[in-house]
Amino acid sequence: MKALIELYIQQFKTTLAMMVAYRASLLIWMIGQVLEPLVYLIVWSIVSNNNGGSIGDYTTSQFAAYFILLMLVNQVTYTWVMYEFEYRIREGNFSFTLLRPVHPIHADIADNISSKLITTPSMIVVAVALGLVFHVSLAPQPWAIALFFPALFLAFAIRFFIEWTLAMLTFWTTRVGAANQTYFVLMLFLSGQFAPLALLPAPIQVLANILPFRWLISYPIDLLMGRLTFNQALIGLGVQAAWLIVSFILLRVVWRAGIKVYSAVGA
Amino acid sequence: MNYLRLTMAFFWVGVISEVAYRINFFFQLFQSLISLGVAIAGISVIFSYTDSLGGWNAQEILALVGVYLLVGGIIGLIIRPGMEQFIASVRDGNLDFTLTKPEDAQLLVSIQRTNLWSLIDIALGMGVLITALVRLGEKVGAGQAGEFVLVLVAGGSIIYSFFLILATLSFWFVRIENILTVFQSLYEAGRWPVSLYPGWLRYGLTFVIPVAFATTVPAEALTGRLNWQTLVAASIVALVLLVVSRLFWRIGLRRYAGASA
Amino acid sequence: MIKDSGTAPTVDIKDLRKLYMVTQQESGAGAAVQSLIHRRKLIVPAVDGISFHLDPGEIVGFLGPNGAGKTTTLKMLSGLLHPTAGEVKVLDYIPWKREKAFLRQITLVMGQRNQLVWDIPALSSYELNRVIYHIPLDHYRRTLAELTDLLELGPLLHKPVRNLSLGERMKCELAAALLHQPQVVFLDEPTIGLDVTMQRRIRSFLTEYNQRFGATILLTSHYMADVQALCKRVVVIHHGKLLFDGELAKLVQKFSEYKTIIVQIGDCQNNMADYGEVVSCEDGRITLRVPKAQTARVTEQLLADLPVIDLLVEDPPIEEIIDRVFAQEKA
Repeated sequence: MKALIELYIQQFKTTLAMMVAYRASLLIWMIGQVLEPLVYLIVWSIVSNNNGGSIGDYTTSQFAAYFILLMLVNQVTYTWVMYEFEYRIREGNFSFTLLRPVHPIHADIADNISSKLITTPSMIVVAVALGLVFHVSLAPQPWAIALFFPALFLAFAIRFFIEWTLAMLTFWTTRVGAANQTYFVLMLFLSGQFAPLALLPAPIQVLANILPFRWLISYPIDLLMGRLTFNQALIGLGVQAAWLIVSFILLRVVWRAGIKVYSAVGA
Repeated sequence: MNYLRLTMAFFWVGVISEVAYRINFFFQLFQSLISLGVAIAGISVIFSYTDSLGGWNAQEILALVGVYLLVGGIIGLIIRPGMEQFIASVRDGNLDFTLTKPEDAQLLVSIQRTNLWSLIDIALGMGVLITALVRLGEKVGAGQAGEFVLVLVAGGSIIYSFFLILATLSFWFVRIENILTVFQSLYEAGRWPVSLYPGWLRYGLTFVIPVAFATTVPAEALTGRLNWQTLVAASIVALVLLVVSRLFWRIGLRRYAGASA
Repeated sequence: MIKDSGTAPTVDIKDLRKLYMVTQQESGAGAAVQSLIHRRKLIVPAVDGISFHLDPGEIVGFLGPNGAGKTTTLKMLSGLLHPTAGEVKVLDYIPWKREKAFLRQITLVMGQRNQLVWDIPALSSYELNRVIYHIPLDHYRRTLAELTDLLELGPLLHKPVRNLSLGERMKCELAAALLHQPQVVFLDEPTIGLDVTMQRRIRSFLTEYNQRFGATILLTSHYMADVQALCKRVVVIHHGKLLFDGELAKLVQKFSEYKTIIVQIGDCQNNMADYGEVVSCEDGRITLRVPKAQTARVTEQLLADLPVIDLLVEDPPIEEIIDRVFAQEKA
């Protein structure tokens, strides 16, 4: 345990040094992170204004609040392991990682958390600025704020496990682009990145409830926007916990199988 | 003439290296269909709540999506792969081989790699564009088609110069492969008419990251929205950027020769 | 194609200098943040005023320890780097102008990098070079046939490059670099990482190429066997400065103060140290190191004192001499 903590601290330092060294690309990356939700925010605001100031029970300013929160939730839960894995396998770096006496996922978790710790403050500044520009007002219940943080953490953990599992597809095929893209499309519509789920056709909403995606993005947002009752919020946490277990088991199973395949042909 | 021969030679190498991965044809087809599906699904959700978006109706937005796919295909076919390889070659030093070749280095770098499968995007984009125009019942005259081709070429040149400028930055900052990835997410903004966006973003997407010239302007030409001022502006911006990017490239090369190990 | 061949030197450099500006970065997060605000800059001379010239058709070894400035010099010669000061001329061209006519007559091979496209057979990369270098088709076919023959490329040409072994790839790289029959060939560690057989094959190829096409070759290598086999003349640099320029044999004479005497006698004797420094002693085969001036005397004594079966006087291995040269410089 102590060794793990040290690993995380060391990884934090490395990540920090890397980010300083590559600050230009970091800045550009953040612009991209902001722009995508911003585009949807603008499109939906226009549609809402055309519609007389609201669609369903979302007013124009609530659309703004939704997409700004989305930007923040996405910032916290985002991972890049799917690209990273492909690169590692292609360049043959992964074999070195396997030689280390610690499971490779730890380095990724540590790297992810470290870079988030560094970039999130500036994202919050951007979010507040956008909130002012688009006249957003939020008044969440104290219990909603209290539940938001565990919900956000669980969302991060589930997304991390799912994407790390998907990334392992690289063990079987080096051409994982199609799988990744399918995942991103599902994510786009079913997690609420494209629009609040309530505005999508009913079948999609049903699908969204069955699949894990909405629990990664939409659920924490809904919490802060006061769209859930206390009971609904608690059920949501329960569902998240269930998905956490499922995704963790999946990760373990795929890892075992994948490492077998990798050591047979790849290494 | 010789440039054309060179381009064909490189394209041929691209073909040879990709037929080894024939399966990629299906992957790319799948991906392209998905991104088309996403666009259409998005449009249909949005237009279930409204009839027009910034003065564009659903079919006109669809035409814009066609242009978006078409230009995206051109970028993927010839612009982006070469620039990606160039950035990588600055990092690993293989640029040295390019520089010792008796041919203009900018040309070699620009055509050194092509992604064959992007032709699918181009075909799909044209298909969507034609479908949208037919459904609009729009009559595209020779004049309008000519304008479209002109602004499309201008838009392509602008995007090319923009990519070249970004890639040239790698002479100063070694790790910026991200820079091109991020263009992709900015390019997404081009799926919608830039007139939707608030002033600062509109200017940003026109003059800082010239997405507007690549997508909105050609789509305007086909939907009868293009005024001559925009046409002239697009042509001038294209010419200026081509010259500026060339100069910047040469400054970058000079730096590479002066300071790199 | 070559101007004044025979009279003017192929490569001519005078007082060549290259300074680098290096920003220093210390490790650790604190230092990383600090470096955002203020960076320490240092000027490092990579090449510090060297002069030499190569005549047409020469093969010259370019020696020096890591960081001596060899690669920097090669890059200035091939036009990749702009010199800070001094004069470079290759085939009467100024390399950094990178004129097409110049680039068509040179080539640069780097053992640690590859220019062949990874996913396709080498042959397709060659076709590409044919177009880039404007090689007429019949020329191209002839040269390719010759290179295929010399390097035994036949079975390799149609395989994707990624499936080739390191040595096979290097052979294909060499062919790609020489298809346009360059007059001047710059080789940076062409045999690095290759096994002994492959090294030998590449060496004999280079000799053959040099003879057949009369090309001038400048070569760096860490393997002294390469240098001994290929180069009559060597240029040695260290810390960016020229240490030696002349025949390899002279280098040995100049820097070797010792000779090695190998004597075969019945068994090892205790008093061998009286004759010189005992380097090794195995099965009655004794290797002694003796100051050069005393070689004759010691040999005589050995023959007089001991039941010598066989006796051999040698220069120490060239690696050792080179090591000593660089070690002296440091002191």
